[in-house]
Amino acid sequence: MSTSTMTPGGHASRRRKKTAITQTEVCSVRLGEGLFGIPIAHILEIVGGTRPLPVPLAPGFVGGLVHYRGDVLTTVSLRRLLDLPDREGAQDMLVVESAGSCFGLLVDSVSAVLTASSADFEANPSTINDRRRALFAGAYKLENGLMVMLDPERLDPLRLARAA
Amino acid sequence: MDELTREFLIESQEGLDRMERCLTDLETRPGDAGLLADIFRSVHTIKGTTGFLGFARLEKLAHAGENLLASLRDGKIAADGEVVTGLLHLLDGLRSILKVIETDGHEGEAADEELIEQLKALQTPADLRVPVHAQAAEPDSGFPAAGPPAAPADSAEQPPRPSEGNPPEKSLEKFTAARLEAVPSSTSSTAESTLRVDITLLNRMMNLVGELVLTRNQVLQATSSDSRMTMLSRRLDMVTADLREAVMKARMQPVSNIFSKMPRMVRDLTRTLGRQVRLEMEGQETELDKSLLEAIKDPLTHAIRNALDHGIEPPEKRAAAGKNPEGTLRLRAAQEGSHVIIEVCDDGAGIAVERIRAKAIERGLITEERAAQQSERELLQLIFVPGFSTAAAVTNVSGRGVGMDVVRTNVERIGGKVELESRPEKGTTLRLRIPLTLAIVPALIVRSLNQSFALPQGALSELVHVPPSEAAIEWIEDAALYRLRGQLLPLVFLDRLLLPGVAGRSTDARDQFIAVLDADGRHFGLVVDGLADPEEIVVKPLSPVLKEIGLYSGATVLGNAELALILDPGAIAQRAGIGMGGEDETFVSSDVEGGNEPSREFLLVETGGRQSAIPLDRVIRIEQLPVSRVEYIGPRPVLNFEGQLVQVEDAGGMLVSGMRPDDPIIVVICREGERQVGVAVAHVLDVAAGGILFQAGTTRLAAGVTLLKDRVTGVVELGLVAPLPGQGEPSNELAEVMA
Repeated sequence: MSTSTMTPGGHASRRRKKTAITQTEVCSVRLGEGLFGIPIAHILEIVGGTRPLPVPLAPGFVGGLVHYRGDVLTTVSLRRLLDLPDREGAQDMLVVESAGSCFGLLVDSVSAVLTASSADFEANPSTINDRRRALFAGAYKLENGLMVMLDPERLDPLRLARAA
Repeated sequence: MDELTREFLIESQEGLDRMERCLTDLETRPGDAGLLADIFRSVHTIKGTTGFLGFARLEKLAHAGENLLASLRDGKIAADGEVVTGLLHLLDGLRSILKVIETDGHEGEAADEELIEQLKALQTPADLRVPVHAQAAEPDSGFPAAGPPAAPADSAEQPPRPSEGNPPEKSLEKFTAARLEAVPSSTSSTAESTLRVDITLLNRMMNLVGELVLTRNQVLQATSSDSRMTMLSRRLDMVTADLREAVMKARMQPVSNIFSKMPRMVRDLTRTLGRQVRLEMEGQETELDKSLLEAIKDPLTHAIRNALDHGIEPPEKRAAAGKNPEGTLRLRAAQEGSHVIIEVCDDGAGIAVERIRAKAIERGLITEERAAQQSERELLQLIFVPGFSTAAAVTNVSGRGVGMDVVRTNVERIGGKVELESRPEKGTTLRLRIPLTLAIVPALIVRSLNQSFALPQGALSELVHVPPSEAAIEWIEDAALYRLRGQLLPLVFLDRLLLPGVAGRSTDARDQFIAVLDADGRHFGLVVDGLADPEEIVVKPLSPVLKEIGLYSGATVLGNAELALILDPGAIAQRAGIGMGGEDETFVSSDVEGGNEPSREFLLVETGGRQSAIPLDRVIRIEQLPVSRVEYIGPRPVLNFEGQLVQVEDAGGMLVSGMRPDDPIIVVICREGERQVGVAVAHVLDVAAGGILFQAGTTRLAAGVTLLKDRVTGVVELGLVAPLPGQGEPSNELAEVMA
């Protein structure tokens, strides 16, 4: 991480990588052993300790329903997306804005908000499998490990349902 | 379209609606200066604004109308039927131009010359009136087209009227310049105190208030230990409740919004049909949720057409029957508990039950034997069957046989009910029972898979408890069945439907409940693990991904802040492969067909040591509650049931002293006409079909008794429970039906 000039809400992309170094604010989340990141510009709110209501017969990636500000929010379980076993107890939820609507993203816990530099960004390696390649947008090389970037657009339940 | 034009359109529409109301009133009170001022203002506002926005066609027409109105105002002519008709034409002309502007953004090309000529011709007093022409310059000069500032000057030029003896002229005289100025200023102040709000914003506010209510509930639970916080959270509680009510109220609109369209319609229709009808309207201030108000507009219009065409007879016929040649059509709106009642009541010929009987047999809807057995009330229900019309002739107003079924469908779609009463030669009353809001649905909460599901009560007909010991559920191959009063009811296990992996028949070892459902003409039992209390739930939409599953119609937040999915009974039946009523011999699909059954179902209860029966279709709920909940008004026991005062009938002496406040009693809450009546009982025994008993030697139904399980059982006559003072006129319809 560097402390040079910052563009709030700026989104690092592969195209810009070679031109100028940009900074992106990223919300990092824990899932099992892994660290994942989501650009903060897409996050409306972080809600801690949710217990989603299971929806029988829903597609596998659906983590259930969560009551959020008077609406009933459909959630996507990151664990289920990555074929990890379900976890007992409460989970943290990111309220993510996508294509005009919102959905919840269930993770084990929200870790911190970081400023990541495009200089540390690398595209998906060729060795990861296709399903993950469809979800991951690349990774930031942090001092204490890798932070895998998630693209909110690709996590949209409607899109996931169509892909399934 | 720019904001200014849109604003202008909305305002003009409102002005014209007001004008329409005033015009029909004007016909009955031709000298009313206030009415004239109102009409004048509407037309004048349109004219003033159009000039500014550059709608020349509209301006020209409005100007012509204004001239005619000026003549009226100045007392040069009287507001006779012809003038009112002319003004109504003007109204239609203005409306059609506004419509063109709304769709195309410009006012179109059509010529209004004919209408303008007509309006000019009307400016001559009736006795001097010659068909069209002459008279053009004089009234025009009397009223310059410059707008409000010119108006006082115009009136000032007029010499004071000498005539004093003529009352209508005198009242017109009072309509002076000062008044013209004063009235608009008073309306502008009401305009300033109101505000147009987008309905989506109101919906969002409603949502947020719901959220606040839930947060409050959690705060109340979390702070119960700290007394200071308890006080604060109580206050929060009160403010939240008030806020919720206020937001609900913001969505409400007075019924007058649709009632006000009716005088014009009635006027036009009576002219077409050659009837003389006086329209009476009552309870216009009654309020209803906006979306519901929209939804009942068509059914109401239809009901009124029917009443005018089939209900009220032509004047000659009425006179011959010794009635006032002028018929009365009464529109009444009133709130009753969580419903709004809208009545369309005429004093016409009533519905000839014999004609219905004949027609129904002719159309093959019922057999002759059945028709002979049916009560008049049951036969009346037949007019709600699609395609049923008894009109001897098809007029262009009604009689094509599309109608009453549409009225019923539309009203039921919004959770309402339609009731019909008719007495030969006395008239017909059609009653629409509309829920106050759409967003809140009564539902039964059931448990399955360790979570709660909401089951809309509209589809629920009864609940059956299946104890684990009895082998009550029987199987034909994979199909589970339950013997419900001797007939096989197909069963759907909610848990197996929702978790297809868990198959098998090993679930009989625990308590189960069967919710008997009627949905989309399918009759089946849904097996669940448990039942919780009924709740009024707020429906929240699901995301498209979950809607695709097809079994849920939404989700809701329960009182304990838990979420629950709302089940769609029709979709469940379809998914489980339950057949339609027609394929299923045992099933009676709707009220209408249900009316064909000679026997009715009764709730068998024990009161004071003997058995009695209560008609099942009248039972709303069976409540078990501590005896202390029953309060007394004078000697009469009453119950506060969901905010309504319900009188408790205690024929069996269940409430007599000797009970401690905590002792439980059972009260069966029943519907009786427009009120609710409670019946205190010792035990609820069973539900059974009752046979009708005929009095020996006649085909008359024996009143007040029925044949239940081959025993003659007394029927509790709810109609005989005297209403509480101030609860409206006594309803004795049941007594009449049974007599």
